[in-house]
Amino acid sequence: MNLRYALTAAALVALAIGFWLAAGTPPDAVQGEYVRIIHVHVPSSWVAFLAFGGTLLGSAGWLITKRARFDHYAAASAELGVFFTALSLLTGMIWGYVTWGIAWDWGDARMSSTALMFFVYLGYLALRRATLNPVDRARRSAILGIVAFVQVPLVYFSVVLFRTLHQTPSITTEGSTMESSTLRAMLFGLFAFTLAYAAFTTWRTRQLIIEAELTATDAEHAGSAVTAPTLGGRP
Amino acid sequence: MRFWRTALRIAMRDLRIEGRSGEVLLTTIPFGLAALFLIPLALPLDRQLIATVGPGMFWIVTLLFGMFVTFRQSAVESPAQRETLRLLGVDPAARFTGRVITSALLLVVFEAVLAPATVVLYAPEPIDGWPLLAALGIALIGTMAVDVTAGLRGRTSLAPLLVAPLSVPLLMPAASAAAAIRRGDGIVVPALLMGFAVLALAILGVMTAHSLEEASG
Repeated sequence: MNLRYALTAAALVALAIGFWLAAGTPPDAVQGEYVRIIHVHVPSSWVAFLAFGGTLLGSAGWLITKRARFDHYAAASAELGVFFTALSLLTGMIWGYVTWGIAWDWGDARMSSTALMFFVYLGYLALRRATLNPVDRARRSAILGIVAFVQVPLVYFSVVLFRTLHQTPSITTEGSTMESSTLRAMLFGLFAFTLAYAAFTTWRTRQLIIEAELTATDAEHAGSAVTAPTLGGRP
Repeated sequence: MRFWRTALRIAMRDLRIEGRSGEVLLTTIPFGLAALFLIPLALPLDRQLIATVGPGMFWIVTLLFGMFVTFRQSAVESPAQRETLRLLGVDPAARFTGRVITSALLLVVFEAVLAPATVVLYAPEPIDGWPLLAALGIALIGTMAVDVTAGLRGRTSLAPLLVAPLSVPLLMPAASAAAAIRRGDGIVVPALLMGFAVLALAILGVMTAHSLEEASG
């Protein structure tokens, strides 16, 4: 069994256990059953940050080594980051609607900055799509992959730096304010989503490598089909 | 010293081209003023409301038209000119810095015209924020976006898609700095945020200048 299959199996098992643990947590006195949204929302946000960090590393790796594998990893990680950012925004909006009474609050620095981060990485994916030459694409997107990461710390620390509706971190070095079984389920959820990220990334990176190989093969066939014109009728 | 001399020469060259063509002064600034003039027509005739949205409109127009100011680089510098500079051995980092200086200066001029116009048209309170830092931030991001999208078919729509969301986190503290001070929140947080972002962008821009030049081929 290779690494991809092992990671996928581990991720599936971990996700199943994570959801089972989340289902077993008690409802919140104020939020009721909706408190369970955090078991998807928090791990999604974490994986989004992790994925954009992966894009940063892949981009830096390509610029240093010029190995295509790093570029494919950066792309795969960005795609997953965009997906998990969207999931985080969506679950946050649902939770906000039932808890705060509004799905979107413009005064909330975390929501606004996360949405901006989402658009920045959509731009990253659009740039990749717009560039046809693989080396050119890798170079351009590597630079953007590094520049785009500048705002990730701003998004993460926005709840601390600004007066905002979003709560500050519940888990600090001094302990946690959460109920113990909820905390346990959420921590396991973080682990399960991280495994899922690793599994998805390895599959998607592999797929991008195969795509690149096929494109290179196609290009060769297209080129070899062109032959020199023959001027018939004259010796 | 040689780095800065080269950067300033590039900046002087770009400013001379701007002086001759007047793209920013004669086209972008009047267009920005027209936008400021049109926005209140879409709002109810409520002086208080118009005065409230005034500063926000100033920053929106600065961002959207500021992008045009930075994107003008792709029009003034042809691939042949870039190739010549490369063959002459001009340091890409100095070239990048020079172009950022030009764009930042032009953006400051743009803001200097726009700010009094906003006060006249909207009668807001004095416009909050740090226009100089905002101009520098937009200039840095815009210059990088121009290089990253150079030569692509969809660059006219792609470059704004990259610049706008990246610039907003910079503009948020820039726009709210004075208000934060008045509220008693202090100057440290917005100053640190802006400083960190601009410094990080400047370092990244200079570090990736060689790759950016190859990308813009």
